[in-house]
Amino acid sequence: MRRYRDEEDVDYCLVGVGSAGGVLLQRLAKAGFKVVGLEAGPFWDTERDWVSDEKGSHKLYWNDLRITGGKDPLSLGENNSGKGVGGGSVHWAAFAPRFHPSDFRVYTQDGVGADWPISYEDLKPYYELLEREIPVAGPAYFPWGDPHGYPYGPHPMGGVGNVLVDGCTKLGIRVCAGGPVAILSGSRGNRPHCIYRGFCIQGCKVGAKASTLITHVPEALEYGAEVRELSMAFRISMKDKRRANGVHYYDENGREHFQRAKAVVVCGYAIETPRLLLNSACAGHDSGLANSSGTVGRYLMAQAGNVVLGRFAELIRMYKAPPAHALTEEFYETDPRRGFARGFAIQTVGPLPIAFAKQMMVAKGAWGWGMRRVLMDYNHWATLGVLGEILPWPENRVEVAEEKDQFGIPVAKVSFSLRENDKKLIEFGKKTVMEVMRAAGAEEVVQESRYAHLVGAARMGSDPGTSVVDKYGRTHDVSNLFVCDGSILPTQGSANPGLTIQSLAARTADYLIAQGDKVFDSEERDMTPPPIRRRLAVRDTFAKGVPRVFK
Amino acid sequence: MLVKSVREHIADGRFQRSLSLVAAASSFVSGLEVGYEHYKGSYSNLAMYTPVLLSGALTGAALAGFVSRRAARTAMRWISAVTLADGVIGFGFHIRGIQRKPGGWRIPVVNIVMGPPIFAPLLFGTAAYLGFMASYLRREEDPEEPAESGLQGWRRELNEGRFQKHLCGVAAVWAVFSGFEAWYSHYKSRFRIWAQWTPIVLAPLQFAACLGAIFSERAARGPLPAISALTAIDGGVGFIYHARGIARRSGGKKHWLYNVLYGPPIFAPLLFAACGALGMLASMLRREGQ
Repeated sequence: MRRYRDEEDVDYCLVGVGSAGGVLLQRLAKAGFKVVGLEAGPFWDTERDWVSDEKGSHKLYWNDLRITGGKDPLSLGENNSGKGVGGGSVHWAAFAPRFHPSDFRVYTQDGVGADWPISYEDLKPYYELLEREIPVAGPAYFPWGDPHGYPYGPHPMGGVGNVLVDGCTKLGIRVCAGGPVAILSGSRGNRPHCIYRGFCIQGCKVGAKASTLITHVPEALEYGAEVRELSMAFRISMKDKRRANGVHYYDENGREHFQRAKAVVVCGYAIETPRLLLNSACAGHDSGLANSSGTVGRYLMAQAGNVVLGRFAELIRMYKAPPAHALTEEFYETDPRRGFARGFAIQTVGPLPIAFAKQMMVAKGAWGWGMRRVLMDYNHWATLGVLGEILPWPENRVEVAEEKDQFGIPVAKVSFSLRENDKKLIEFGKKTVMEVMRAAGAEEVVQESRYAHLVGAARMGSDPGTSVVDKYGRTHDVSNLFVCDGSILPTQGSANPGLTIQSLAARTADYLIAQGDKVFDSEERDMTPPPIRRRLAVRDTFAKGVPRVFK
Repeated sequence: MLVKSVREHIADGRFQRSLSLVAAASSFVSGLEVGYEHYKGSYSNLAMYTPVLLSGALTGAALAGFVSRRAARTAMRWISAVTLADGVIGFGFHIRGIQRKPGGWRIPVVNIVMGPPIFAPLLFGTAAYLGFMASYLRREEDPEEPAESGLQGWRRELNEGRFQKHLCGVAAVWAVFSGFEAWYSHYKSRFRIWAQWTPIVLAPLQFAACLGAIFSERAARGPLPAISALTAIDGGVGFIYHARGIARRSGGKKHWLYNVLYGPPIFAPLLFAACGALGMLASMLRREGQ
């Protein structure tokens, strides 16, 4: 791996090498820029660092101190933020559906939430590209949103998927089996196909599940990018009021460094991105960097992720398949008869025993000997999840607290509360999934309320007064500071955000490459859409051994 | 000289030994195919053993038929008939298997693609039918002029080598079954390689050529052998592709058993090629009533 010295003026300094950061790093390096990616966590050696063990995989999550609050506080750490190269893509379940065209104009259509500054058509070519790059396995025809097919064939079904298909077909709900999921159903290059061992969200040691650690970062390194592990950024440094010139960070020993850069891209996800911007407050940016609108940290969103558990007389064996392998988006769009805006998806969950125990503790109050009995019954249970759209509200936000983390950096305080629409949606979604579970033949159905995914908190928009970044991820206030991660999403739909985050990163990369040096030395904002650069896709995306996709 | 002699033998229907060998080979190949496909399904139903046992028995009987006239007329004939019946019963089981998958026939495309291969048992039965046909042929060493065999109707026509339409019919259903198998398994792997389209395109052509040959002698002499040759070549090329696909899987030749089980079905293209071979054979036969 190429190494840059701190004082060397690199072209781009990325803060965070996760889902979006990994893609951006690879694209910029391949286009010939000098790029450094600072990553707070380690550069995983999958064979040495990862274990086939639920408890042992907790180091994949962001476990540093954070403060959570509000009326419906989120549980932070596992399932919504990662640490280490690959970030969240290391422990995502890898469901990779696209957003629907309606997600890009929620305000126009439903009078709630916000409109995106881009349309589905702007992002569609990137969806198609990333689906081939990472790649996504799924059915040849996916009927919801903008109907499309997937480059790799669907996965065989596991017990939980069978329950979902069974329940849905009995109720006449369309259902999609075997994907879409970014797990290989056939081997590709040096990546083997899935062996259905069920340890997807513990970090896939097999390499069948896509994470930027194995899809994009290797090629980034090959083209001269540097990934600097265990480097915790704490402040973006400003040359003057309009221009950033580098990032201050601590190394693993707590020593302070300063990496000079011609432009800075923050890819820290929905909590760390606003935290870094707020912690970078300086003269001229008193309420936080790029926060003249006051929206940094606001409009944070999590998706309703209620888990419905059903017990079956026959064996289900949830662990014997990827957790993600079937879903229905039949309830995705607004239906006025339901009495709330937007909708939800139903997906397979398939937790391993520890996660299952936690769910049963909440759902059934299982404890002690009762918990023992519940756990002995693990193989008879199936779990389906609601994935419901919670709308962006300004009071759901990230702020910085008084408390400090191990480096002495003020930590993030996250407040989260539901409003009426969200509560109605969750109630309806929960009921629907329970019906599906019963239709499939469950003899006992219980549920746990929880949340999944985190997006928003540095949203994009065309109005600098109500958003943090423009449609290419450039902050309205600082011309060489960008945000590229899930925090720029104005609304979240009921689709898992991973694919959208990576597609947006590829689009931002194309924009940066098209702008060239103008990003570094001019304050002019050229908003012409960049051409899509398919040649920057990771090697073999369009070569032999790779699926043909028909447009 | 040799070619001429072969053609004469075929036209006279004097090729029982050769067709017995062909039946033995196709029975062996489809036995391997069904053996590992059912292994994949864990032999969860006792009936899943029957095609494996029967194809073994038929291979043996057909080899015996190659050596002995008597074996050809008894063992090979009856074991072929039982195997054909087994294929039809298996077809019923496979339909039930698809129905029993979650969602059943309410999501037919998903369950046909992901469930038990619907037409595979019928293809297996059709392969066995070759043995049945062979049992009525005359042997290579028999005199050119058919002796009075006492056979009547289609049996007599088989015996005298006048069964072009009959064989075209067999090749036609073969093309349907084999083509359908190719369609859904290639669909499953999303037509990753363009060559995966070729059996999908050729199977209907082959079917049409066989059907045409049943109604018109001209079709049997011109288009039938041409298209059949393409089908046979395509099957051969497909075999190479499938073998390469297996070798390219992780572990490749080191885990050959696992990769043969879960990789592209290695013998399926050979069965498709056999369809072409049958078409070519049919084109060289005399028509019924001639």
